[in-house]
Amino acid sequence: MNRRDVLKLGVLTGATATLASCEKPAQQLIRFVPEEDFLPGIATWKPSLCTVCPAGCGMMVRIVDGEAEVVRNGQLGIINMGLAKKLEGNPKHPVNRGKLCARGQAGLQITYHPDRVRTPLKRFGQRGSGVFHTIGWETALSEIVVKLQEIRSRGRANSIRFLTDRVHGRRRELINNFLGSIGAPPALEFDPLDEPVLRRANLLDFGRPVMPSFDFARSNYVISFGADFLGAWNSPVAQSIGYGEMRRGRPGNRGKFVQVEQRMSQTGANADEWVPSSPGTEGLLALGLAHSIVKERLRPKPHESVHNPDWAERLTTEIYSPTEVEKRTGVAASSIERLAREMASHIPAVALIGGAALAHTNGLFSALAVNLLNRILGSVGAPGGVFFAPGPPITEPTSRSHNSDFFSQLLSGGFEDTEALFLYKANPVFATPPGFEIGEKLTRTPFTVSFSSFIDETSVFADLILPDHSPLESWLDDVPESGTSEAVLTLARPVMHPLHDTRAMPDVVLEIANRLGGEVREALPRKTFEEVLKASYSQLARTQTCNPTDNFDKLWEQLLEQGGWWDGNCQLRLPEASRSQFRVPEFIAPVFDGSEQEFPFYFQPYLSGTFLDGSLAHLPWMQELPDALSTVMWGSWLEVNPKTAERLQIQQGDLVRVRSRHGTLEAPAIINPGIAFDVAAMPMGQGHENFGRYASLRGANPMKILAPTQVREVDALAWAATRVNLSKVGQKGRLALFSGALSEQGRDRELR
Amino acid sequence: MSHRWGMAVDLDRCTGCSACVIACQAENNVPTVGEEAALKGRIMHWIRIERYYEGEFPNVRLRFQPVLCQQCDSAPCEPVCPTYASYHTSEGLNGQVYNRCIGTRYCANACPYTVRTFNFFNPVWHKPLHLQLNPDVSIRQVGVMEKCTFCVQRIKASEIQAEAEGRELREGEPTPACVQTCAPKALVFGDLNDPESEVSRLARSRRGTKLLNELGTQPKITYLQRDSWNEKDR
Repeated sequence: MNRRDVLKLGVLTGATATLASCEKPAQQLIRFVPEEDFLPGIATWKPSLCTVCPAGCGMMVRIVDGEAEVVRNGQLGIINMGLAKKLEGNPKHPVNRGKLCARGQAGLQITYHPDRVRTPLKRFGQRGSGVFHTIGWETALSEIVVKLQEIRSRGRANSIRFLTDRVHGRRRELINNFLGSIGAPPALEFDPLDEPVLRRANLLDFGRPVMPSFDFARSNYVISFGADFLGAWNSPVAQSIGYGEMRRGRPGNRGKFVQVEQRMSQTGANADEWVPSSPGTEGLLALGLAHSIVKERLRPKPHESVHNPDWAERLTTEIYSPTEVEKRTGVAASSIERLAREMASHIPAVALIGGAALAHTNGLFSALAVNLLNRILGSVGAPGGVFFAPGPPITEPTSRSHNSDFFSQLLSGGFEDTEALFLYKANPVFATPPGFEIGEKLTRTPFTVSFSSFIDETSVFADLILPDHSPLESWLDDVPESGTSEAVLTLARPVMHPLHDTRAMPDVVLEIANRLGGEVREALPRKTFEEVLKASYSQLARTQTCNPTDNFDKLWEQLLEQGGWWDGNCQLRLPEASRSQFRVPEFIAPVFDGSEQEFPFYFQPYLSGTFLDGSLAHLPWMQELPDALSTVMWGSWLEVNPKTAERLQIQQGDLVRVRSRHGTLEAPAIINPGIAFDVAAMPMGQGHENFGRYASLRGANPMKILAPTQVREVDALAWAATRVNLSKVGQKGRLALFSGALSEQGRDRELR
Repeated sequence: MSHRWGMAVDLDRCTGCSACVIACQAENNVPTVGEEAALKGRIMHWIRIERYYEGEFPNVRLRFQPVLCQQCDSAPCEPVCPTYASYHTSEGLNGQVYNRCIGTRYCANACPYTVRTFNFFNPVWHKPLHLQLNPDVSIRQVGVMEKCTFCVQRIKASEIQAEAEGRELREGEPTPACVQTCAPKALVFGDLNDPESEVSRLARSRRGTKLLNELGTQPKITYLQRDSWNEKDR
């Protein structure tokens, strides 16, 4: 036996020993320590409502006991309490059916954010300086009551204003009841995620200023004009569920998806065909498609319109012919004819519009054009088409005051005489162009109260900050506006006790009403928002279609256990009003701020898939989530086409100066193959001056160089209507890229 | 019957929305590392969305591909570990025993999918963010390698529940966090030992491929390739 044989033997016996030991677990060589001892903690699941975007998805929150450091009665101590650990979709909820998006998941960090306002604060330094000191609730409340009494005694109650973000459910009603009872005008709502242009178009065409819902699961053909419906637009989870079914839910029938936009969005990345048209010509392309379908008789002729009997003649005029449309849109006439043929032969086909396509000066025209295309495709209110979600059988909360009212007041100088301003979540200082001078207006407002949970660019101007509970600590209700074919009401009680010395905004409003006394107390007699909700929804017991009952208490318990009320029997609502009206909107060319010579690029900000309008930029999970397309983390960037970059001698990561007629910003360049040569795009959401430790002074805010241009016939900001020029700064910007980082392990970055 | 957990990723359904990334981060106490470390390519996500551009404007195509531990049957990460911290569980998962790991990073070197992440520093959660931590998942300290476990804590919980009720696991019962939240149902999880399970059915799809299959790692994740539109459909 030589040395080699000895080695062989050793290996063999070693192997045998290992194999043999597998029989007795105690002697296994590889023994996983914790596997058998592992006992997952006992969790309970409580229903709640996701409030990070307007979609209104139902959630289930995983609650596990834990020790939390909290302040109670002014004393810091550790108590054992139920803590939210994980947010999931509510499987029974008709909007999101157990699913939740990245932003919704990250909503957990709002509750536990280290920079939450933990107690009432009073301004100490100059207005806007951000220097506050802690005060008690009693002092804060009495200060507000004294101020309101003083304003009312001077007969100036109509100069009290309440500005909110998107408020859901009965909160809006409660705020407006309060304002009405003290003689103040209704609350103004400012929500950058809203689509006031689309609402206006739907009001004109269907009599309802409501966001549409889509039955993608049964569509064979989807054409989207700029709507990032799988990303951050409208009801993205519901739409993504439908999209998955459209693709692979029906064996042998995979629907086609076409996206029209100038910068490939996350949604556009999934399209079978990606069609870049010139900015602001989306509506014209829709009319070009409608023209071809009608002219070539690709669809059975729709019934004649009562109001516009000559609509077909108007549509088939030369200006909407493929060759004419090609001149303005840049989309080949042959492509227009082919797309028209495809969609007409693949009914149900549905068209939708959103995002930048609506944010041009002619956005209303484009929205009306897409509505007409849907009519001609026969997809309005049809399976696989577009419809409006039915509301539950209760009195709907007072109609929304949309961004339009906010903008019209702003533009007409309505804020100038404000004596007292209440702010709830809205952050217009961050999300509007500097031309609106909101910061200056806030500095001049004599008395500002904010209910914000965070000090941001707007709440930093407040004289008093009365921090609201986090959503998980609050009573919540909502009627989802879209994304469901069923009647839905979402309702949730707090899933955990408050962590800090905060109070629910509705309860504070009720308390103020109570202290003001007289007719104000009479108008708002209830003590808590819980009582308000219970009273509001008591009518459900009688009006619900399935099981009308006299036992409301039992129904109430059921609602809270399930996370709301829904009824599959209340099926999707067809757009009823003016069903026979075929409106052919007149083409209006988009107008851009800045001359083409001096400012050669269309500037296109877009809603960030991670931060939305910026309201989620304070969450570390969102900051470190690589952007779906650029893969940038912890920063912002400017996107240009490779050819454009070559011409300007810009390389990836080079700092670029972006200048409009209204301002300048700097951002590192991302070379993006999916963007038109004359477009420069930038995500919204970064560039906060003041929004907690993770977001402040990070990246640049594209809103700050936008022209305060309006959409025609709608009081809305045309945020895609600014032109810019680009120049190289001559240094590298900070760009934490995920793409390529794995193989290099940061080596090239270390060297630099 | 023993289980063999596997996954199918339908790239024709995946929209690149990244919901899986945050769901995983929340479920598994995956730390954030901050901008400086992110600049060095040290982010810790156990699942990532890769994206590939193809072509030039205007004929641009973009593809998304979620990549996570492929739970290989012949895993390159396992034999290289000097302390047996990387090991093969009885249900075929590539386990990682954190308190055995001494941070040689051999496994990360060996893994062709670069799905292993290393704790270059102790994780930090600014208080009270630490209250979000899932008590079912241990927190990894500096010097320790970590990776996707197919949410082994959820698998365990389902098995314990089924055993307590004296029954077999049902189809779809253990669900990793990424799969649970995937809206277009691009991610499907299940038992590959059950030929009738959804994941087994998808694994047999004509569109099915394995990532870097030629390396012989025998991954338990099947990628179903994105399809193209065919006018003759339906």
